[in-house]
Amino acid sequence: MFLIRISLVAVSAFLFFSYICTPFTIQGTSMEPTYPNGGINFCWRLRYLLSEPKRHDVVAVRFAGSRVMLLKRVVAREGEQVEFRDGRLFVDDMEVVESYVRFPCDWNLPSRRVEKDCVYVVGDNRSMPIENHYFGQTSKARVMGGPLW
Amino acid sequence: MVKGRYFFAVGLMVILGVVLAVTVFPSEEKRVKKRVRLLSEWVSKSPGENSFTMLQKIKDIGTLFLDPCELKAPHESLSGNYTRQEISAYTGTARSHFLQLEFKLYDVRITFPEEEMAKVTFTARLIGKTTSAEQVDEIRELECHLKKMDRKWFFSQVEVVEVLKK
Repeated sequence: MFLIRISLVAVSAFLFFSYICTPFTIQGTSMEPTYPNGGINFCWRLRYLLSEPKRHDVVAVRFAGSRVMLLKRVVAREGEQVEFRDGRLFVDDMEVVESYVRFPCDWNLPSRRVEKDCVYVVGDNRSMPIENHYFGQTSKARVMGGPLW
Repeated sequence: MVKGRYFFAVGLMVILGVVLAVTVFPSEEKRVKKRVRLLSEWVSKSPGENSFTMLQKIKDIGTLFLDPCELKAPHESLSGNYTRQEISAYTGTARSHFLQLEFKLYDVRITFPEEEMAKVTFTARLIGKTTSAEQVDEIRELECHLKKMDRKWFFSQVEVVEVLKK
């Protein structure tokens, strides 16, 4: 009986931490200072089961699988026009106040419309030149969830 | 007792036979995976790599590709058909900029859409230190097509999947 209980706990823990609440370590400075390099967190994969990612949500974007993911912030949703002017974010020609961006930024990016079933994601750390920051539009199907905290 | 030993011996021989068959005749999936792992091994560079190993690896990398092979990586300025020599030369040049390089693979998924054709998708992570002491950590999703020729698998197309489109 004890062995069955132990096995059930082990199997449940494995399923929970593999498919529902996946632990991850943050490698890189793209989301600083909100999520510093070396931090530990969990990806809550049920977050967008019944809802859609909203602007300002921090999301985990997958590559070929779930072992390597990008942590980014949603700044625009499908159909919206997104643009950067001297480091300031504009969505549909309206400036968006981003309290989470703490480092100086001088980015300029011409306006572009977010395609259907996509979201536009950017990291919080925009202190580097725009060409050195990995950001852009991604399919909603690639959004695996969001960090637990 | 004798019967029990007989069954044990037969069982052991069957298990050994299965293990031997799997080892000697690996499945097509394992053969494809091995080619992808070789690519990872040969692209990687250890800190004190000697010239002989470097030249051997550069030469070996070309043998993994079909001649020509289509590369689709517009952001890396690589688009079109490349010969084995060109791929070897390009890899050699790229490797020479690094003191140390690690090409890691994650989430490797292999499917066989057609006979003698394999499609492999994986996340590739390139971690290294350049000769100017700059740290590099790049991640890309790759989609590769391999063709089977003379019982060997060769990369016929390599595409960098655009996960984030600026």
